Amino acid sequence: MGRLDEAAFAGFHDRCATGLRAYVHRVIGNAADVDDIVQEAFLRMLRAELPSDDDEQWRRYVYRIASNLIVDRWRRGKFEQTVAIVQEPVAPTPHYEDDATVAQIFAELKPRERALLWLAYVEGESHEEIAASLGVGRRGVRVLLFRARRRLRDLLQARGILVNR
Amino acid sequence: MTEWFALNPEEDRAVAAFMSRVSNLRIPNPDSRIRDVSQLWCKAQLIQRWEAERRAQRPLDIMQPIEIAGGLVATGLLLYWSLPYLL
Repeated sequence: MGRLDEAAFAGFHDRCATGLRAYVHRVIGNAADVDDIVQEAFLRMLRAELPSDDDEQWRRYVYRIASNLIVDRWRRGKFEQTVAIVQEPVAPTPHYEDDATVAQIFAELKPRERALLWLAYVEGESHEEIAASLGVGRRGVRVLLFRARRRLRDLLQARGILVNR
Repeated sequence: MTEWFALNPEEDRAVAAFMSRVSNLRIPNPDSRIRDVSQLWCKAQLIQRWEAERRAQRPLDIMQPIEIAGGLVATGLLLYWSLPYLL
């Protein structure tokens, strides 16, 4: 904890917690475990020796911890493969404008693919930043991200949202 | 080489648009603060103290069985060496 004081942590928490919750929720697709993971990520970040003036480094670190916790739990089979549908049940005919369908399509991706896509598109992270957030090699990120995008494209095509050419 | 890792522009746009929809999906209790930040801070401090105590205690925990074993060996040797005088 050392160089990070309580006020700085409170500010960082306010800036980061909502985004981190959204990330964890979308990646695990299971609302019940979100708070546990987010809390554990912040606790571990506090126990790490990080410089007090680098907000971005904290953010990447806390996302990396959360990503590792997600992968750990996923490996232990704690998460069921079911999807937390956020809104009404899926309409019989999938439609792009339907939030539940969007959530369901996203949940059909693997957790790592969801994490990669979220960090790239929602958080707007570069390959280097994603590599730091997920603890994988920078070159690997490029390949993994391409595979995730290709798989998402296939899912969109399978639903008729994107025309196969 | 670049094309290997690129979708076509239309697919790219569709993926980006889809991810934009994903980012706007409602999250249950978006403002739920897991617990009060100061509680989180205190918990982290407590854990850190326990870890520091455990680190400080570790050499003592390691030394204790060594001390006992050393005492037993010394007693045994003493008995062995003093045995001729006792008999």
